This record gives sequence, C-alpha cells and structure tokens, in this order.
Amino acid sequence: MVNPILLIIVPIAAAFFIPIISKAAKSLAKYIAFFVGLFNLIAAIYIFMHTINTPISVIIAGYKPPVGINLYVGPLAAVLSIVITFIGFLSMIYSFKYINDDSSPLFYSMFLLLLTGAIGMVLTADIFNLFVFFEILCISSYALVAYDRNRDGLEASMKYLIQGSIGSVLILFGIALIYFSIGTLNMADIALKYQNANKNLITIAIILMITGFGIEAAIFPLNSWLPDAHSSAPSSISAVLSGFVIEVALIIIMKIIFLIFSATYFLTFFAIVGVITLLMGELSAFKQENIKRVLAYSSIGQIGLILFAFSINTPQGISGGIFQIINHAVSKSLLFLSAGYVIHKTGSKNVSDYKGIAKSMPFLGIVFIIGALSLIGIPPFIGFFSKFNIILAAISKHSVLYIVLTALVLLGTIFEASYFFKIAKIMYTGKKRKEGYAKVPFAVLFPLGLLAIIIVISFIYTNGILNYTNKAGADLINKIAFIHAVLG
Amino acid sequence: MNNIINIETLIFTASIGLVVIGIYLVIAEKNLIKIIIGLNLADSGVNIFIVFSGYIKNKTAPIFSKGSLGFENMVDPLPQALVLTAIVIGFGVTALSLAIAIRLYKHYGTLDISKIRGLKW
Repeated sequence: MVNPILLIIVPIAAAFFIPIISKAAKSLAKYIAFFVGLFNLIAAIYIFMHTINTPISVIIAGYKPPVGINLYVGPLAAVLSIVITFIGFLSMIYSFKYINDDSSPLFYSMFLLLLTGAIGMVLTADIFNLFVFFEILCISSYALVAYDRNRDGLEASMKYLIQGSIGSVLILFGIALIYFSIGTLNMADIALKYQNANKNLITIAIILMITGFGIEAAIFPLNSWLPDAHSSAPSSISAVLSGFVIEVALIIIMKIIFLIFSATYFLTFFAIVGVITLLMGELSAFKQENIKRVLAYSSIGQIGLILFAFSINTPQGISGGIFQIINHAVSKSLLFLSAGYVIHKTGSKNVSDYKGIAKSMPFLGIVFIIGALSLIGIPPFIGFFSKFNIILAAISKHSVLYIVLTALVLLGTIFEASYFFKIAKIMYTGKKRKEGYAKVPFAVLFPLGLLAIIIVISFIYTNGILNYTNKAGADLINKIAFIHAVLG
Repeated sequence: MNNIINIETLIFTASIGLVVIGIYLVIAEKNLIKIIIGLNLADSGVNIFIVFSGYIKNKTAPIFSKGSLGFENMVDPLPQALVLTAIVIGFGVTALSLAIAIRLYKHYGTLDISKIRGLKW
C-alpha cells in the first residue's frame, strides 16, 4: 500500500518547490498544486481502504516508538484525511479561476502547507510533532486570511494571529508540563504511563492544551477571531478554514480527552459549552448582513453541535459527531464557495443586494439551497442523518440535562433554518437581472456540482457512511487498541 | 542563601513570570508592536520552561566526543532539540506578524489597535 507519510511529504515538498519552479513560468504553480492535490486525494482513498479495518502504525526514520516519531493511521485518521484532501482539492480547483495575480505561486504554496498541517495533525501520534503540524497549519492560515491584502483581511489576520499565538503558547506549555511529569512525548506511551505521574500537573496540562486548541476550534468564549477571519479570507480559503481546520482542532481536543488521557470528567462541561456555542453562533448569524459572516457564525454554531455530540460520550454520539463533521465539511464548503461566486459576480457581500439573484443564476441558487437545507438537517440530505443520530444518542442517554440540552439544540436549529430561509427568500424574490449571469465557468461548476451531488445522493449510502463513522468513533475511544498498535 | 532559593525554583518562577508578563502585554497594550513583543516574551518563557524540564542537577551538556563523560552525567538532550524547533516556529510567527503590522500601518497610518476597527462584531 501507499505509505501514509507520503500524504505529508508530497505536499510539503511541493509547497517549497512551487515558489522556485514558478520563477520559470507562473502557471506551473497551478499544475503542480493540482497534481499534488489529486495525488493526495487518491492516496487518502487508498489508505482509507487499507486501514478502515486494521489500524497501522508507521515508524519514521527507523527508531521504534516511544523513542522515534510515528504516525498512527486508524479509521478516524483515514476518514478525516479523506475529508481534508477532498475539500482541499475542490477548493483548490475553485481557486484556479480567481487566484491569478502575481503572487499566486505563494498562494498555492501556502495552500499546500495548510493541507500538510491538517493531515499531519490527524495522522501523527507524537505530541510535539502535533504541535509542529499545528503551527504549520496556523501560520499558513494566518497568511492566507491576509492574502487579499485589503483592510479587512489584514485586520482579521492580525486578530487571528494574536489569539492563535496565545493558544500556541498554552499548548506548548502543556506539552512541556506533560514531558516534565511523564518523560515521554509519544501519545500511546503517555496514555500508558500518565496514571503514575503527578495528577495536578497532568490536569493543568490538559486544561492548557484544551484551551489552546479550543481557540483554534472556536469554542465559546474563545471564538472572537472566527467571524472576522472566515469572512475576510478569499472564499476558497473560507471554505477550507470552515470545512476542516476548526474540526481538526476539535478532533485533537477529543483525542486528548478520550484517547490520551481518559479525562471524561470534562464532558458534562463540554456539553453545556457546546450548546452555548451553538446558540450564540446561530443567534449572532441571524442578525448579520454580510453573507460570509452569516456563514462564519453558522460555523460556530455547527462546532457547538459537534462538541455537544462528542460530549454525549456514547459510541452513537461520537459516531454522530464524526458524521456531522463530514456533513459540515461538505455543506459549509459548498455554501462558502457558492457565496464566493455570488460575491464575485455582484461585487457585494450584503445579503440585501441579492434580490432575485437565484433567478438569473439558477445553478447557484439551487446549490446554495441544497447546502443550506443539508446544514439545517432537512431529509433526505446528508445533514438530516447526522443530526438525527446526534439527537437520538442524546435522548437515549436518559438524563434530564441532556434532554434539556437537546431541546436547546433543536431551538438552535430553528434559528438556523430561519436565517437560511431569509436569505433564500431574498435570493428568489425580486426582478430577474439581465446580465449574462447564467454561464458558470467549469472551475466553479465542478466543485459546486460535485459537492451538491454528494449531499443529495448520500441518503442511498447512509448505512455505509454510518458504518465508517462508527468505526472511526470506536477508534477514538479504544485506548487499548491504540496503545497496542503503536507500542506493539 | 542556597537553602532559600535554589536554581530550579528561580528558573521555574522566571519562566512562569515571563509567560504571565507576555500575556498581560497582549491583553493590556494598545500598540501592535508591543503586543507582538508580548507574544515573544510569552514564547521565551515557555522555551525556558522546556529547557528546564530536561535539567538534572550537577549534570553537564549532552555532547558526545572522545574522552567525554558518560550519558549518566548529562542532562536530557530532547528538550533542547524541542526548544530549537519552538524557537524557529516563534521566529516564523514573529516575522509574519511584523509583516502584517507593516501592511496594517500602510492602510490605517497607525499601530494603535483601538483605532484599527474596520470589522465590528
């Protein structure tokens, strides 16, 4: 099979070669990025087929863990790397049409670095290596948010950078505390030995790391950077940032809680924080005028829902959370990409300027509605099944707290539905515009069409997806299998 | 004197102190450059703590050469390797933040963050 390390090495090597090679011809950058993205997608699918049943541990540089760094590729990492490479590839194709200025080689270089960071974070089983990949991800996303070099982008990027750097400091401190008290950096080795270490230091380290990753995952109240950063970035970058970057950080938090330290005593707190994040995101989205800010706040709401799903702490809930990650990645990137095209055509980010836009751009109107309905959770779109599973898991917990929280989640869904219907109503009423809006270029048609088709037809294959998310969820909580696979 | 303050306590306090000062600067200062300095200070504090976490009393630097001491007389070399990586990452973030600060200054003509408010919540 393909060595999973290629998923990391190929994009990072390409990222460093692109600026040099594109000195010869500027357009080469696009082709290199395209082929690397395609290679990563195919390799991720191939690795997925091999590791969905048998997790593997890949040793790097010949030193066996716990001394050397290793990758752990189980069902969870396999599912997530498909999500990352797929959304990354489609957003990259979308960028080909719009990112064509002089510095575009740097754009593709940083885009590939972002992919490297995200894939590395889900694959690695070494906690310091995790930090390095996290920083690669963060630095490239700071730079990409500011790519347009306009006021909004720079300001949002600065906010993101300051808050993200504080998060990195906290994470690094947590890692140092873990090494100080346990004496190892390998996740499986930590999981094996942490019970003998100083309990207080470990708890402080867990809290520091959760807070640090919580900033990147935009958990309330650490999310003030997100609406600015996600709304000011170029649309393809917004799709990527909302599609998988915040989810990857959330998955790392869950890995820390479930897989490394069995710190499940945080979960009741997280259930409440998740629902607060959800309500705060949906309520703020409701009163926004800027369409990308609406979508960014909706991402905060979705992160809250995913956090709530994981906090249910039953196999069904965790599986539902992973399903919701897939749904959110597909639907939200579809929404961001279609909103980006509408902004490009109309030159305005304000929803009130979109009167009758869906009549002159029927394709865009339809895919936007499909994405919105899937996020709200209307059957038969993919979002219905993930939300349904989460609600089912929360109710079968048989606890008053979770019933109340479920009611609040459903209330949040109503808000979500109301602002999406408000946008849809504006888009479908009003006069038809005369300009040649109907013709959509292939670079936009292909990603949007593919994502919309996946959302619509996935109900045929729900049992298959559920099977995979169940396996991924079991992989997240099965500590013994993880330790066994890594340390042998 | 040695009984009251030993070197471990001193370094530990210094590292925590630097992190706290750095985060305080980020929260309290209005000037963008000072905020970036604060981030740097917090980073340095953590780096000192990482080096400290591998320190063993009365042991020497981990350099292997002819006639050197055995590994039982050396400090833990791993944190030193980690800290090099962390310093390089911190350098990258600082360079990027300064570059963005320059661009912001060109747009707004000021580095006062209370005046840089194009985006509202």
